[in-house]
Amino acid sequence: MSAVRVEEVATPRAPFVALSALWLVLTGTLCNLRCTHCLNASGPDEPWLAPLDGAAARRAIADAERLGVREIYLTGGEPFLHREILPLLERCLAVAATTVLTNGTVMTDALADALADLARASRYSLEIRVSLDAPDAVANDRVRGAGTWQRAVRTIQALDVRGLLPIVTATEIAGGPATYDRFRALLTGLGIAKPRVKILPVFPVGRAVGASGARLSEAELDGFDRSTLQCAETRAVATDGVYACPILAGLPEARLSDGDLAAALRPAPLYHAACVTCHRTGATCRNA
Amino acid sequence: MPERVTEHRRIAALGGVYANAEALAAVLADARRRDAEAVFCLGDLGGFGPHPDRVFPLLHEHDVRVVRGNYDEAVAAAAADCNCGYTDPRDNHYARVSYTYTVAHTSAVNRAWLATLPGHRRVRLGAHRVLMCHGSPRRINEFLWESTTPDGLLRRLLAEHEADVLLCTHTGLKWRRALDGGAGHAVNVGVVGRPENDGTPRVWYALLTAEPDLAVQFVPVAYDHEATARAIEAEGLPPEFAETLRSGWWTTCLENLPSRERARGRF
Repeated sequence: MSAVRVEEVATPRAPFVALSALWLVLTGTLCNLRCTHCLNASGPDEPWLAPLDGAAARRAIADAERLGVREIYLTGGEPFLHREILPLLERCLAVAATTVLTNGTVMTDALADALADLARASRYSLEIRVSLDAPDAVANDRVRGAGTWQRAVRTIQALDVRGLLPIVTATEIAGGPATYDRFRALLTGLGIAKPRVKILPVFPVGRAVGASGARLSEAELDGFDRSTLQCAETRAVATDGVYACPILAGLPEARLSDGDLAAALRPAPLYHAACVTCHRTGATCRNA
Repeated sequence: MPERVTEHRRIAALGGVYANAEALAAVLADARRRDAEAVFCLGDLGGFGPHPDRVFPLLHEHDVRVVRGNYDEAVAAAAADCNCGYTDPRDNHYARVSYTYTVAHTSAVNRAWLATLPGHRRVRLGAHRVLMCHGSPRRINEFLWESTTPDGLLRRLLAEHEADVLLCTHTGLKWRRALDGGAGHAVNVGVVGRPENDGTPRVWYALLTAEPDLAVQFVPVAYDHEATARAIEAEGLPPEFAETLRSGWWTTCLENLPSRERARGRF
């Protein structure tokens, strides 16, 4: 009988360069919507990833400040459902420019006023990213739920009129090379004088996980500068640990520490199909 | 070879020439009038403007000491793109037009000279250790905007690079910050190749003096912007580039501005 040689394929890793972006997965996977392609399968039922405790969030912000973080992102789920969202946002803005990623469906006039006040009082920029999946209500609501387009558009206008200049974030699920132009046209048509649009690819994770078996290999990464991957400069803090990537938060294989930010400043495994998308498209979840 | 660190009492620092020879000439004349002992340029000699080769004789004639910008690095290598660091499709469209033109109109001699430029420079300004770079000390195309550059990051960069004063450009908008009672300083010197997105065509540079505390003065300079705008049009470059020089409002490459800085402009 001839011996069969089994070669173990090593998982490639991204180096840790510096903590430039801190993500707080503030509401875990708690969300008022249940979008068909949600990156972390968020929804209104009992979340599979619990919200981040306010004290843990404040600890992470303080640690990140000591580490010289450049910018902070608040995500979920829907971060505006977090009971401490405004005091936490104020704390973040005392440290660095901060971005909130929202579905835009829970905004009230009082909340928009409070955000405008925080923005005015801070020396650092406050960015609000509002997610849409299509520039028209029918296609958008097919993905995000009935009435969501109208509510998100109302939020965009409420923020814009207060000078907050929201960034509309859309996935390429909307389709076609003209996606960007169509969203810009939507905003211009709404009377937004300074339209801001960010397009992201659809990642094979969460409800869009599909059957992709693609993985990165050392051979594929040969000659590629891995320090350009966002996980080289990003850490995401969730209730159950620290991760190199906000969209892989909660997945055990992606966890780098059990909650200690400093302990998570080490090379990250590029083990997921979403890592292929990041490498292939050069995508960044950051604003720019 | 150890880095040669020159000592000064007053220097001028400018950024982003963007092939605007008229503006560069006016700024250099102004800096001399104000007794700048040396003039430093923090890179990006080409981009947006016409006839990029016209800025090189001015730099040589005035002994301007230049730091390599991302544009200079790309043009020197005739790289695929300018590595400006834009992620927005509209920004990237205009960047491509500008970059293609600049590479095609920069001589081989000047491209070879660009390849010799250092990535950073150090000088002593009185007791202050000054580090000059293009984007940031850690990345040539990092955007250090005033509203997205925290004190903690600046402290870290100064400590890691053993400097008291950090000078950078790349964003196109000037700002300065003193840290910890003046123990550290960061100065984005702005650019001379296009206006400040403030509705006036003037451009800005920075004058730094050891008094012995560090004094930073941003100096506005008027120049023949109409001549540059006409040359842009004559070269078939996008009319938006000429419009910016005339109106003082950025019309392109503003999609990556943070909301604070974007809110100040017209577009």
